[in-house]
Amino acid sequence: MSDITESDLRKPRGSLKVTWDVWSALVLREFTSRTTADRMGWFWMLFEPLATIAVMMFVREYLRHSMRHVVGAEFVPWLIVGLMCFYIFRECMTTPIAAISSSKSMFSYRQVQPIDPVIARCVVGGMLRGFIFLVIISFSMMIGALDFPYDPLLVINNLLAVWMLGSSLGVLFAVLAALVPEIGRVVRLLSMPLLFLSGTIFPIENFPLYIKVYMSWNPLLIAIEKVRLGFFQYYHTLNDLSDIYLWSTIIMILTLALLMHVRFSTRLKMM
Amino acid sequence: MIKVENLSKRYHGPFGGGWVLNNISFTIPTNVSVGLIGRNGAGKSTLLRLLGGMDHPDKGKITTDARISWPIGLSGGSKGSMTGRQNVKFVARIHGIKGNLGEFIQKVQAFAELGKQFDRPVSTYSSGMKSRLNFGLSLAFDFDVYLSDEATSVGDRAFKDKAKKAFKERMATSSIVMAAHGEGLLKDLCQSGIILETGRAVWFDDITDALNAYHDISDGKADISSFMNSTSV
Repeated sequence: MSDITESDLRKPRGSLKVTWDVWSALVLREFTSRTTADRMGWFWMLFEPLATIAVMMFVREYLRHSMRHVVGAEFVPWLIVGLMCFYIFRECMTTPIAAISSSKSMFSYRQVQPIDPVIARCVVGGMLRGFIFLVIISFSMMIGALDFPYDPLLVINNLLAVWMLGSSLGVLFAVLAALVPEIGRVVRLLSMPLLFLSGTIFPIENFPLYIKVYMSWNPLLIAIEKVRLGFFQYYHTLNDLSDIYLWSTIIMILTLALLMHVRFSTRLKMM
Repeated sequence: MIKVENLSKRYHGPFGGGWVLNNISFTIPTNVSVGLIGRNGAGKSTLLRLLGGMDHPDKGKITTDARISWPIGLSGGSKGSMTGRQNVKFVARIHGIKGNLGEFIQKVQAFAELGKQFDRPVSTYSSGMKSRLNFGLSLAFDFDVYLSDEATSVGDRAFKDKAKKAFKERMATSSIVMAAHGEGLLKDLCQSGIILETGRAVWFDDITDALNAYHDISDGKADISSFMNSTSV
């Protein structure tokens, strides 16, 4: 009995150590509940992108030529890469929304702050979807549908951006949705049109110029196009995909989100 | 020692109202167990939440060098979709226990006596079983001060006796701040008492005096303010 006390409890932990302990506990918890609670969990995570890809390959046959023509890349591998990126983004943006309300009972322990379950979901969501990304991309490479990335570093760098962008929006929406519940619904609704607006399914190069101008403001589109550029050497897309714009957007959203978490942390616990 | 100075708390939001705690001050000396007495809604749980660091006061402050538990009570503390064991592991981890996790779990299991139910989701537990788990969990840590918010009220006879015994064994090294309506339990475990009424608090060195005063107040024979001058610290 006393050895637990002496070794682990008597010396107070620093706040960084406490945070680290909480994060690792939450990440472990999130992993077990995501992978074991639902018997079909893994199946759905693989089936959903596969089904979408299949449907899009079918729909493509009936699309106007201009909408399905991708300059410098095959449509199917181009679609697979884009969709898999989009799923990472969507996972990290939408799953944290419910994180605070579903962890309410954990706030009895003063070590746990409202931001902790949110971060745990971003981390676990990113890892799970990243793993699915790897599985599907490697499978496509094995069957010869996709070549090894032309510029792997560009791919990794911008996958990170996709994950960071989704996570910072997730952290932001977690606060907003806790304060105003309707926001959570709107965000989930918005993820569908975003699939089209981020050039995941329809190549941006095929949109008319006056729409393209506005679409190119979308940081998600920039990140996904850059991942594709890393995969396909001759892929032709927007000329001015700005890294600085992409990352400064991410940093701005994340800063705003973290500030809001600090400002509202007591209120969020009570929600 | 826990020092509470000019503590005030109100809840904001659409249903928030006046001050739940209004400028209360007292000092709980080391190793003195205290009973919180007051009507429903007098602010007992709020005070425990503040002592446990779950919530922040609007005014005033709490200073302490003691390691204080979370408020052990009926609500919260475990996630319904996870099993008792998973919950225990989680709480152990956030408190920084890594190496002897197995030993820790055994300790909780031994106290809670949940049997097979320990590996079933907490949402299937009865309220008594939940309180056993929550209680066993807090006792597995060696806190200096335990906060109990009616923690034993739903337990059966055997469990209540066991909980009482566990606390008595710890009297030498730790103390308890408990909100309870069972007066026998309060007299058994606490030396001092605090009456909470209309946002104010009065400290009594002796729990029996506190209970008598509480009876007078609730019978309408006396007013909280008549005790404030004489005994408050």
